[in-house]
Amino acid sequence: MEKSLDLNKDASRSTSSLPPEPVDIIRSKSCYRRVRLNVGGLPHEVLWRTLDRLPRTRLGKLRDCNTHDSLMEVCDDYNLEENEYFFDRHPGAFTSILNFYRTGKLHMMEEMCALSFSQELDYWGIDEIYLESCCQARYHQKKEQMNEELKREADNMKDREGDEFDNTCCAEKRKKLWELLEKPGSSVAAKILAIISILFIVLSTIALSLNTLPELQETDEFGQSSDNPQLAHVEAVCIAWFTMEYLLRFLSSPNKWKFFKGPLNVIDLLAILPYYVTIFLTESNKSVLQFQNVRRVVQIFRIMRILRILKLARHSTGLQSLGFTLKRSYNELGLLILFLAMGIMIFSSLVFFAEKDEEDTKFKSIPASFWWATITMTTVGYGDIYPKTLLGKIVGGLCCIAGVLVIALPIPIIVNNFSEFYKEQKRQEKALKRREALERAKRNGSIVSMNLKEAFARSAELMDVVVEKSERPHDNHLSPSHWKWTPKGAASETSSNRSFNAHEGSPDKGRDTSPQRINVQKLEEMYNQMAKTQSQPNLNAKDRGSRAGKQRDEIELGAIQDHRPTVLGTREGVGDMKSLSSIDSYISCATDFQENPRFTHSPAMDIGLQESNRFSHSPAIVFSQHGNAKAGQQITGEREPMLTPITKPSYSENARRFFFPGNSSKSIIPKGGCRSDRGSGPSPLSDSSVQSDNSLLSPEVSVYTTASSRTPPKSPESTTLAATVFTFHDSSISKYIDADTDDDEHLRDISEASPSERLLAGSSPKRSININYQKGTNHLETAQKMLGQNCLFPNEGIRRVVHENHVGPEMARRPKVDRGRQHTLDKGL
Amino acid sequence: MWTVPKPKYRRGSCDEGEIAVNIGGVRVELFGDVLNRYPESRLAELLNCSTQDHEVISSLCDDFDPGRKEFYFDRDPDAFKCIIDVYYFDEIHIKPGICPICFIKEMEFWKIDQCVLDECCKSYLSEKEEELTEIANKVKVILEDLEVDRCITRTQRCQRFLWRLMEKPGSSLPARVIAIISFLSVLVSALVMCIGTIPELQVKNVDDKLVEHPTLEGIDTACMLWFTAEYLLRFASSPNKLHFTLSFMNVIDFLAIMPFYVVLTLTSLGTASMMELANVQQAVQALRIMRIARIFKLARHSSGLQTLTYALKSSLKELGLLLMYMGVGIFVFSALAYTMEQSHPETLFSSIPQSFWWAIITMTTVGYGDIYPKTTLGRCNAAVSFLCGVIAIALPIHPIINNFVVVYNKQKVLETAAKHEVELMELKNGRGVRRKSSN
Repeated sequence: MEKSLDLNKDASRSTSSLPPEPVDIIRSKSCYRRVRLNVGGLPHEVLWRTLDRLPRTRLGKLRDCNTHDSLMEVCDDYNLEENEYFFDRHPGAFTSILNFYRTGKLHMMEEMCALSFSQELDYWGIDEIYLESCCQARYHQKKEQMNEELKREADNMKDREGDEFDNTCCAEKRKKLWELLEKPGSSVAAKILAIISILFIVLSTIALSLNTLPELQETDEFGQSSDNPQLAHVEAVCIAWFTMEYLLRFLSSPNKWKFFKGPLNVIDLLAILPYYVTIFLTESNKSVLQFQNVRRVVQIFRIMRILRILKLARHSTGLQSLGFTLKRSYNELGLLILFLAMGIMIFSSLVFFAEKDEEDTKFKSIPASFWWATITMTTVGYGDIYPKTLLGKIVGGLCCIAGVLVIALPIPIIVNNFSEFYKEQKRQEKALKRREALERAKRNGSIVSMNLKEAFARSAELMDVVVEKSERPHDNHLSPSHWKWTPKGAASETSSNRSFNAHEGSPDKGRDTSPQRINVQKLEEMYNQMAKTQSQPNLNAKDRGSRAGKQRDEIELGAIQDHRPTVLGTREGVGDMKSLSSIDSYISCATDFQENPRFTHSPAMDIGLQESNRFSHSPAIVFSQHGNAKAGQQITGEREPMLTPITKPSYSENARRFFFPGNSSKSIIPKGGCRSDRGSGPSPLSDSSVQSDNSLLSPEVSVYTTASSRTPPKSPESTTLAATVFTFHDSSISKYIDADTDDDEHLRDISEASPSERLLAGSSPKRSININYQKGTNHLETAQKMLGQNCLFPNEGIRRVVHENHVGPEMARRPKVDRGRQHTLDKGL
Repeated sequence: MWTVPKPKYRRGSCDEGEIAVNIGGVRVELFGDVLNRYPESRLAELLNCSTQDHEVISSLCDDFDPGRKEFYFDRDPDAFKCIIDVYYFDEIHIKPGICPICFIKEMEFWKIDQCVLDECCKSYLSEKEEELTEIANKVKVILEDLEVDRCITRTQRCQRFLWRLMEKPGSSLPARVIAIISFLSVLVSALVMCIGTIPELQVKNVDDKLVEHPTLEGIDTACMLWFTAEYLLRFASSPNKLHFTLSFMNVIDFLAIMPFYVVLTLTSLGTASMMELANVQQAVQALRIMRIARIFKLARHSSGLQTLTYALKSSLKELGLLLMYMGVGIFVFSALAYTMEQSHPETLFSSIPQSFWWAIITMTTVGYGDIYPKTTLGRCNAAVSFLCGVIAIALPIHPIINNFVVVYNKQKVLETAAKHEVELMELKNGRGVRRKSSN
């Protein structure tokens, strides 16, 4: 416990002192010529003078900030004694950004990702236009490439998820039919159908070619050769199959116009139509007079039958990527043709002037020698025309070499395009396959998710046991040591309350694409899935899980009911536990960590859940979930109206935006002080203030809280821009990650699953696990915040915290889990 | 010089000849004797003047902490880590990731000569510098276009306006229309030249000779007049006449126009003064070939063609290699084929120069079939020559292609870079944002 004291002293500046007066800040700034900037753990030292060079950037503003609040808006933390300011950003990019202040030249680190660099620039308030021209080209190219890729990815996703069959009748059947015809990988039947289709294409092409063999042709009454009757039957059958396929596809397609426009479907149509046009023309013009004309038209349509070979493109990615490549590199193709055309023009006219005086020359005119030039430049060399004079031969030799050169030049660029595209296609195919496999697994009641769920339940049980043993003494002993704990506990609790806001407020954190995050989303997916499977009826596992949960809930119910009448101190104790666990779970327990990013996705849900579950032991509050529980005890009625805005937003991103104003308004509100009856103020704040008031704490706590809640640093001018931009990045990046890690579920969760549904999850008893898991999150948040703050101070502080808390990592977790369970139980009852 | 480097970081007393420097937050302690290896450098100067003379010190470093005897420099610590190597190893390598231009600035700050930079990094540096100058040139051109008319006289303003109209298709709508018309007229005249040679479309003149159809000739004349007018306008509006006449594109333009007028004068002279008609006609014939030059006028309108010429210019060496390989191969194989085919009574290889043609056609895999070997030995030789031809062409062509791709990509990069540079300049001028404050 003594160590915990140290923790209090060391861990954060705010707990040991009031927020510094402006005078102190100004004095500190004036007595140092230099300033230490700690960016993500890397210390930098720079002259104030240097920072003044760009007064409108974030670092420039740091100079002008004289109050605590404004400082906290600019940086994440500061320490006046050490003259150190902390920014929770990626340190790599900062070096080049600081050099921009020093030298006036903004260069980009070569290994930096252009996208993340641009985000860093946004954060520091520097326009990307200042990039030096040597780096700029690279930067913009990379960025454009990135954006293009992301856009394509997004389009693909849209395509894939655009199949909605909810508008008309028999949607289910049509969906099945659509999958059968369009997605050969979806089932065995679909695969067989695709193979049959390919066979028909091949057969019809063979029949088409055999038809032109003179031995197989028959002569009709006009003495003209016509089709072999057997082959005509084959043709008819093939066409019938194609027509049927096309019609079925058309009928089952979710979007008729889009279907009609699709290039593959246009090819299909072109393959079918000539046959019917031919039939129509021959049947309608029986008279001999018109027949010759009609015959000519029919011949043309006959040629168009060749187009059916392109139908193979539907079944071959190689052909598709060839088509896309040609489409993408039309610039280079145009160049190739231009080069060839110029070469042909020049050499054919040269050879014409060289050869025209020769006896019975074949180079009669320049257009006539075009043929020779083409055949020579492509090194085909039929030999039907060749130069005979010496001059002509020299021109011919030059033509050969020039042809080789000119054709070879633009080809590598096209090849490059092709290989890139092909790779991409392959990757996407793989991702698609995995996604489908996962879907199927989900449909069948996936083994994976089952196991996970059980594992989760088991671990929860384990936790319960541990907590059961260790919680009591803490709660009921009002020992001094316990009281020493309380301030910190309360602080962290309140700060955790707010931390979700902090998190949304700084989208940059959401954008963080650390490897952990990738895992995080994967796991999160699993959890979602789990929640879904659970919500499905007739699943034994669900019963099992909930039964286990019930048992535990019952135990816990008793325990908590014991607490309820006790003094505030006990509740503080609980909060204390949570904060402990939060750090611990953050560090030690990987699964907990995974839950973290949910904040970026569904803030609305977080709020609801967080508020509702945390204090769910009082049954009345369960119903006013979105109100602040503690405040709710006093002013439940006032809280109620606040529900509406929270539950309404239909997209999670909307929700996030919605919380921006709340966030900023919060920063206006001075720390502590204000009571929760402020209608518009977000509940967390009022919660914290109540908390700090009630818990008889020194004001430091509230300072601490505000500090942590203010963390989202955001230069005001860039706020709106950043909001939109970041949203895009966020979703797109997560899409990207999704594709890469092949964890396929979560995307749909972000973009498709309506957040309202998720909000519902908060109230629906079926999704109790989800709720529990949510609850873990805010504590993680706290942990992160704390760690962030500790960064300033000697490492020992952090480490001590860690070790300290290792005593009971699970113990603190327990309450949340159990409350969630209990909440479920209440609802269920 | 090549002593074992002493440990850079050493705790302990700061006695004579040892200084502590703080570079942007990174503290380094350095030994005097090490620093004195380069007495010109900033650190050595600092060491030698580390008396209590504050003015000198503050001129050398950004801040001085007398208590800790620490000199503070507001510079990039990463670059310094590389630069400090010079005291130990006498050479500097640029750390990958640091922009070389930036690094050179740092070296200048630390007063270390550029020549200590290692060769490997020097080439990298020069590459970057080249790119930068290219960008700067492009930007200069763009800026010239954007420049507001500051010409005093009316004629100058007119000239400027005309110049922009003719040379910069992107500057205004009329300029673009003119560019398109010019492009089309090039195409039309090239087509007319080709079609005019078709015998069916030709008519007989008084001497019973086939000449071009009068309508085609009319179109050709109209195009020629347009070209002439274009050329003259360009010439008149160009700020620098000599530079204009010598530039590649304008030489082509001139060559495209000139034959027409020469033919015109020759024929008029021929009819007027009764010069030898045969001579005149021969000259006219020769000049007709020159009309091909007008196809090159397309290059003005296509960046791809310009890239090609640039790439070919930059890979002249490889082209020479290609021609040399081909030449050697042609000589060897035609001689071999000639001697081997001598045994055959009805040989198609009548002489070695005659078989050059065969060798070229075989080595480039064209193979017309007008001359082919008939003996077994000759056929073997033909197979070998074909293989050698493929190799001889493929080997030097690779660097040429590489050059082309590099130039092609660079062109794109340069375009974006120049665009952004111009934007940056606008920003600086327009908003009056001071990026740099003088040090």
